[in-house]
Amino acid sequence: MNTNLVVQSLLIVLVAFISYMHCYIGSTMSNRPIIVAPLVGLVLGDLTLGIQIGATLELIFLGAVPIGASNPPDMVSGTIIGTSFVILSGSNIGAAVALAVPVATLVLLFDNLLMMFVLTSSSHMADKYAKLGDYKAVERIVVLSSIGNKLILALVVGFAFYIGIPVIEQVLEVIPAFIITGMDVAAGMLPAIGFAMLAKMLLTKELFAYLLAGFLLAAYFQLPVFGIALVGLVIALLIFHTKTGNNMEVNVDDNEF
Amino acid sequence: MTTNSNKKTVESNSLITKKDWWQVFRRSCTLDAAWNYERQQNMNYCYAMIPILKRLYGNDKEKMAEALQRHLEFMSCTPHVVSLLMGITGAMEEENANNENFEASSISAVKTSLMGPMAGIGDSFFWGTLLTIAIGIGVSFSTVGSIVGPIAFLLIINIPGFLSRYYCLDFGFKYGVKFFANMDGNDVVSKLTKVASIVGLMVIGGMIATTVSIQIPLEVGVEGAMASIQSYIDQIMPGLLPLCLTGGIYYLLGKNIKTTTILLWIIVISCLGVLVGIL
Repeated sequence: MNTNLVVQSLLIVLVAFISYMHCYIGSTMSNRPIIVAPLVGLVLGDLTLGIQIGATLELIFLGAVPIGASNPPDMVSGTIIGTSFVILSGSNIGAAVALAVPVATLVLLFDNLLMMFVLTSSSHMADKYAKLGDYKAVERIVVLSSIGNKLILALVVGFAFYIGIPVIEQVLEVIPAFIITGMDVAAGMLPAIGFAMLAKMLLTKELFAYLLAGFLLAAYFQLPVFGIALVGLVIALLIFHTKTGNNMEVNVDDNEF
Repeated sequence: MTTNSNKKTVESNSLITKKDWWQVFRRSCTLDAAWNYERQQNMNYCYAMIPILKRLYGNDKEKMAEALQRHLEFMSCTPHVVSLLMGITGAMEEENANNENFEASSISAVKTSLMGPMAGIGDSFFWGTLLTIAIGIGVSFSTVGSIVGPIAFLLIINIPGFLSRYYCLDFGFKYGVKFFANMDGNDVVSKLTKVASIVGLMVIGGMIATTVSIQIPLEVGVEGAMASIQSYIDQIMPGLLPLCLTGGIYYLLGKNIKTTTILLWIIVISCLGVLVGIL
């Protein structure tokens, strides 16, 4: 019985790893429940039930898409724990939903920590070698952190499967709500760091008006970012084709703003 | 410059070989794998560019260092279309390697101004339209337990996905090479840099308003006429807080405060804000 559980846990780690690695092999979206649940079914011996749970969970996570800096709940862990619970316990498909959502939320919390601290610091490490021109070291860091963070997540899912669902629910209750909500709030603000860094790269006193214009178009007229880019393109064309007589000052490096 | 058949190049006047091209293609598939909150897809973008950089700056540590740092900058784009940008910047890097007068900062400017619009198209197509279609068709088969469901889902997403990746890279290289090979003199390049910066800055402005979010739900006022602080702020100016936050961080970055420090403070303030009920 116990060796059975160990084997199953290892197989679950494998399924989780393959699913997380979808973004290493071309963002194939094979981390969606419609693919992951059948894989769990295959490993635990009930493929048909896995496919059906996949359909149910897929619709639950319909809106979970990674656009820009917003990261959706971790579908892979939610799907794996939810599906395996239903298959192993024989309860109805609804139980998969009830489990998948909190698990996905909890694991996203953990993944957020990885993306905030571990991957950010490996990015800093890559900076250090980039300064030395050591591209081989940069390559090593990127490959290691790309695969490494997926492996860690897969092990977490495998561990969660091993210790069982009741314990997961207890853990979720122990973490104070203000921290979970606080991480949510922080995730809304964090993209501002990226934009400030970009602005640092491009902004000059002369060009500040354009940043403000883009902001106002979105804030007051709800113009989508693509529309703003097109307006920007019009302005760019106008400027590009004005007479070159009056020497324009165009030093982008001139970042004294 | 060489007609050696083992070293077929992508363009007759280019140093970059077919093998390099395919390496970039393969590595572009990893774009989202080391996503981080500070600069998002920067590590894997740089990783994908390395085969080109190796070919161009293999013997020049200093230029290699500059190029590596350039491609470790912030990157946020749809993985299925990012190869267009890799092609264009690859062609620009080649121009930079050959032309003393080329302004390397225009590579960053082009990246920054193009990634937003490209992500706009790519996200709405791949994560919007296509995913919805694939889920619709896949789920209809999966509900009855048919293996056709997951298989159809994968095909609907990935045939367009990989075709897009291939043609984007191809187009980027060709267009980039032609476009930037014809340019002489600093005037055009610096003008181009400026207009690219304009588009980029407008996009950044728009993204600050749409993707950064801060809400202050705390209610104030006399009894019976309570309103949240957020509603007052929205009356003054929508998106005021995201703009101030970004401006504040911009200021702190100017004071050489580390991004990790800023990141930590945002998390601490968020948690405390939730605890006392203002965020």
